[in-house]
Amino acid sequence: MIDGNDLQKIRAIFAKYYDTAEFKIAALEQREFGIGNRKKIDSRHLSFANLSEFRNYLCNNTPLFVSHSTAYYEFPGATPIQKKQRRGADLVFDLDIHAEGKYGAYEKLDDVKQDLQRLANDFIKNDFGIKKEHILQVFSGNRGYHVHVRDPAYLDLGSEERRELVDYVMGQGLNYLDFFIESDTKPARLLGPRPDEGGYRGRFARQTIKALMEKPSEISRIFSNKEKRDFFISGVNEGNWSRMSFKYDDLKKRLAHVAETLPVRCVDTDVGVTQDLSKLIRVPNSIHGETGWIAKIIDDIEKFDPLKDAFIETKNKETMKIKFTEDVPELVLMGETKEAFKKDDEKEFPMPLAIFYVLKGSANISDQKSGK
Amino acid sequence: MDGLDFAVRYPFSSEARAFIGDLQLNEHIVELGTERILKALNGTASAKVIYHESDKKNEIASFAAARMILGYMHNSFITNKFAVNESKVMHGYLNRDDDTTVDKIGKTFGIHTQKENERQMLGIPVYISFSPKAPHYRLINRRIFNGLVEISNDEKKRLIEEAIKKHIEKIPMVSDPPVMIQDAAKRIIDELPKHQTKIEVKDNDHPPCIMKLLESVKKHENLSHPARWFLATYLLAISMEEEAIVGIYSNLPDFNEKITRYQISHAKKKGYSVPSCATVTTYGLCCAICRIGTPIRWHQLDKSNKEALRK
Repeated sequence: MIDGNDLQKIRAIFAKYYDTAEFKIAALEQREFGIGNRKKIDSRHLSFANLSEFRNYLCNNTPLFVSHSTAYYEFPGATPIQKKQRRGADLVFDLDIHAEGKYGAYEKLDDVKQDLQRLANDFIKNDFGIKKEHILQVFSGNRGYHVHVRDPAYLDLGSEERRELVDYVMGQGLNYLDFFIESDTKPARLLGPRPDEGGYRGRFARQTIKALMEKPSEISRIFSNKEKRDFFISGVNEGNWSRMSFKYDDLKKRLAHVAETLPVRCVDTDVGVTQDLSKLIRVPNSIHGETGWIAKIIDDIEKFDPLKDAFIETKNKETMKIKFTEDVPELVLMGETKEAFKKDDEKEFPMPLAIFYVLKGSANISDQKSGK
Repeated sequence: MDGLDFAVRYPFSSEARAFIGDLQLNEHIVELGTERILKALNGTASAKVIYHESDKKNEIASFAAARMILGYMHNSFITNKFAVNESKVMHGYLNRDDDTTVDKIGKTFGIHTQKENERQMLGIPVYISFSPKAPHYRLINRRIFNGLVEISNDEKKRLIEEAIKKHIEKIPMVSDPPVMIQDAAKRIIDELPKHQTKIEVKDNDHPPCIMKLLESVKKHENLSHPARWFLATYLLAISMEEEAIVGIYSNLPDFNEKITRYQISHAKKKGYSVPSCATVTTYGLCCAICRIGTPIRWHQLDKSNKEALRK
């Protein structure tokens, strides 16, 4: 439980951030908002006429969490939900990682980032044909990322149809053996996907070629021989998978592990974020109350490092002294390694880092200074 | 094909509405509409050949009358049966009509296909809105390119059938219709098959995928063949009586007692086992992450686990 006085101080810091924070909420007046303090959403059905009304609310009330609906409504503040009259909803994907302990997920955030890149590029852009300007990639402010898709063609999809898209991304029901057929020539040739095809077929062919180039022996030692490998690949490029000496079924079996690498694994379907049309999702560029990190809108995913870029920026290098109430493991934060801390250690940190430990429930504020 | 014939075949079209714009509702049209619903209920709806122009117009109007009756009855069982049967009959017409007509109907539902290198492609959002729930139609098993799915001509017609069905299912409520419509509704209720068994879901204790299917059945929604088969193997596995299973299936909009009875007793005789969760996922019927391997293992979970998964 976080100390009440500490929370007061942290809220003041949040309020200062919200005073000038840059929001990009498309059709803000058509969205329902929810806020939370004890949990992520304590109350919902809020609505705002414009950005300044929303900003005023945040500065005056400074909730620890703020979310908006993925859906657009005629009457976003109406209750019950049927009276809101939905007019479509963003297509949203939630990627996150579960790990042991309070701090375990942070070192795995890089894996989630890789999945995010594959999801956005391979699936959303290439397969679903959605243009870059309709895709918003956002850090969740804690253990993962959110992708908001605002292509008009996708906004009216129902829950079942959205589930179909999640299943697609997650590879549910993928049967790569069906990619192959045998020709009716004699001898029969094994015909399969070509690397220039779209969807899972093309991805499978490309990934097979990549695996052959990088780790040929994982498929078979025979492919360590460059000549044999190149001959096989030249066939795959034309959709002919027969230029090798295996039995066809044997080859297919050897490619099973290639198929396993194709889907995006860390899409969180447990909570049904994508299918749930009345879902509230963290407002991009708002602060996550469990970490004090900004749920940042990402411009350049390659360069983005959440453990550095998501901290609130303070102009006057304010610091804060905190006292740890439990042991904390070593972490790489703000671009440098922070050693492990023991219970009762007292330390002075830049303010954003200090409030991170406090909001995680691992420390209390002992003193706040504004340095110049 | 002349415009009037087109309208007779596809009475939901704007052309059809234009033909009957000035037609007054009368006893004869309501009678035809009633017959239309009763045929759907008995599963005997079929293509018709009509010669006289006035008969053609009445036939179109009978569709509008049927919708009025259904809007007044507000009974999802009858509406769904009507939608399934009418859309199947119209699929038959699509099979006989030329490509231009098929495309014209398709476009009314946003099913715009485009040609790319001799391949027929359809946008993903439209495709997933109207594709039947069957492994073959699942997005993951399709050829996809830059937001488009490749489909064959036959598949396009199947998608249009689904779109027609969904369109017919959406019937606005009619609260105070003419007396002849009210009488027609009474007649239909009187002629309904009387053995509609209520579904008893014991303590609601089934895995989420099965619960969802049972919910659909309750609402008289149509189930795909794999869904029906899966549900039957499950119900047999928990030792439900054949008679009770037939009772459940009687809620389906295209229920045929004889075929259902035969298939269920056949499944029982063969002793088909309940498909694994992986297979259920392939059918597109998985709706939770229970991690139990096969739905039947649900009954080995403890209470708290079950409750967590039901959320």
